[in-house]
Amino acid sequence: MLAAILATGLATGAVYALIGITYNVMFSASRVMSFTSGQLGMLGGVFGTVFALWLHLPVLAAFVLTLLACAGVGVVTEIVAVRPVLANLDKHLYVLSTLAAALLIQQLVAIKFSTEPQPFPRLLGLGAGVLDEKFWLPIVAGAAAIGILEHVQRRTLFGHAFLAIAEDSYAARALGLPEKRLRMASFAIAGAVGGLAGFAGGELMLSYVANGALWSFYGFVPVALGGLGNNRGAIIGGLALGVFQQAANFWLGGIFVSIATFVVFIAVLLAAPQGLFGTQAARRV
Amino acid sequence: MPITRRDMLLGGGLAGAAALARPALAQSAPIRLGWLAALTGPGSSAGIGFDRGVNFAVNEINAAGGAKGRKIELVTRDTQGDPTKCVNASVEMAQRLKVDAVWGPCNSGEALACTPILARAHVPQIHPCFVDTLIDTTKYPNAYRIACSNQQLGEASSKYVLEIMKVREIAIIGDTTGYGTSTVQAYAPTIKQMGGNIVYQALIEASQADLSADVIRMRDAGAKVIMPWSVNGGLLARLLNARAELGWDVPVVGHPALGSGEVKALLAKPANWEKVYLMGFRSCSFDEGGKLPQRTQNFVQRISGKINLADTSLWWVACGYDVANLIAKAVAESGGASADDIIKAWNGLTKYPGIYGDYTYTAQQHNGYPTDEIVLSAANSFRDGAFALAPGYG
Repeated sequence: MLAAILATGLATGAVYALIGITYNVMFSASRVMSFTSGQLGMLGGVFGTVFALWLHLPVLAAFVLTLLACAGVGVVTEIVAVRPVLANLDKHLYVLSTLAAALLIQQLVAIKFSTEPQPFPRLLGLGAGVLDEKFWLPIVAGAAAIGILEHVQRRTLFGHAFLAIAEDSYAARALGLPEKRLRMASFAIAGAVGGLAGFAGGELMLSYVANGALWSFYGFVPVALGGLGNNRGAIIGGLALGVFQQAANFWLGGIFVSIATFVVFIAVLLAAPQGLFGTQAARRV
Repeated sequence: MPITRRDMLLGGGLAGAAALARPALAQSAPIRLGWLAALTGPGSSAGIGFDRGVNFAVNEINAAGGAKGRKIELVTRDTQGDPTKCVNASVEMAQRLKVDAVWGPCNSGEALACTPILARAHVPQIHPCFVDTLIDTTKYPNAYRIACSNQQLGEASSKYVLEIMKVREIAIIGDTTGYGTSTVQAYAPTIKQMGGNIVYQALIEASQADLSADVIRMRDAGAKVIMPWSVNGGLLARLLNARAELGWDVPVVGHPALGSGEVKALLAKPANWEKVYLMGFRSCSFDEGGKLPQRTQNFVQRISGKINLADTSLWWVACGYDVANLIAKAVAESGGASADDIIKAWNGLTKYPGIYGDYTYTAQQHNGYPTDEIVLSAANSFRDGAFALAPGYG
């Protein structure tokens, strides 16, 4: 029984963590918390079903096309909901514009896809019981995402440029870095990470329009727990959230899961407002 | 211009003629039946099924000359399953369109919102919604239920488990929606009163990704049957998949959604649908020989080629069909279509033979569907809108 709780908790936690990373990647280049993050995850599942089950494409092709499609949605989000706000309006209105974009995506999926949970294809056909691929694929996807992102950020010029923009966008622009293009690239990468979350978690959590709002909500928790912009923190926060949720569901009952989760979440934030793994930022006065 | 004696006589004559013509016009005016239908949006499958039945019946009645010479005019509003839209449509029907009666809405959430409005407007209303409190002859004296109530469903399902399956150890679960919560709270005492032993009772979040831990707990608690109450296909399919993964062949008895296409699509393999039984109705179920009751069979032959039953439930179609006929019967018997005429006629119905069931209403009892018509069906036996009876009915 403990194995079942851990397997499900870690798998759902890995999906939350990937959504948390989606938030972080978008935030790093734009200082925008985009509420489309959960919807990008939901789209990963939806595109997976469409490409693999409806269009009968091979799993690998469906996977690549899903990531590309979600990256495209990320870019469109940047153009439609973020760029105009950052250029012309009060910066904090991105809350409204990205929320509107998220609702738009959700409604389109409800109309064009389905309002009911839809089946997701069996991807590799490996494992059974608590070692079934539906439990470990999201964890592998999370590890791969964090590995690739860390490598890019630490070892490539592109990654250094990202860090520069995230650190001080004015100084980075003064040095000639193409801030707009880098921001668009960050939304494309975030889209792909979100798509990866939905695709890897599809066998467990199905292709379901309601996943979008749920993941936007629960995906934000690892960001706050792990510290804004801290991907490693998001992974640990996400996994902890998933396991805690399953344990609460099991011992307290489904009706108390959300309450228990947010009681702990608020308690942690009161104790460590910068997140468990975030650092206190110095402020120039 | 001076008014002459001739003008006065002419005016008086016209007024008299108009007054005399009014009853005649009323006698030939169509009967306006408002239809609060959820034809689009989530949960529209039932609305579409009811719609096919009521439209077929209205066309049939009108083609035969109407009810006592009066045609039935169906005034349909798509509420999309949204209580707010349902309330707006109810107000429009009662105040502006002045319908003679209202059929619907299709789900309890909408009905809870609009039934008080129709009660205040004194419009006869007949609906298929299960929530018990929707029928109250004191609060809503003009509201009638054509389908069964939640209480009846609970009694019928418990009776099947305890008396036909002869199982006492029961795991009862619901989702965390209002429906799941209230149903578990209502059914658990009924099961206990009837002699059952609730060994496991829980509410499960519909988004719960895997139910293995919950199913292990049910098994460890000694459950011999699982009774899930949820309309969420994802949750029900996960329950059946988790049961199969554990190699546990415990029977599952519960909500009609267990036999839905959504559940079928989400099953890991078709065998996971074995020993799964859903609430159904004897009038719309195949017997051991694969035949429907004769009355229903005749109806199915009549609608053959005109109504598609492959993607809907026969009981939805039959229920919609019966509603139009209940209206026509009320008008034919009372000779009028006023609210009082219809209510008086319905209150006098005893075992009126519809397709979906035999309805009995009195002034004190507006739950008209007979409990002994409620049966369990095999979830994996869907064919032409109907299911086969579960084992044990003979």
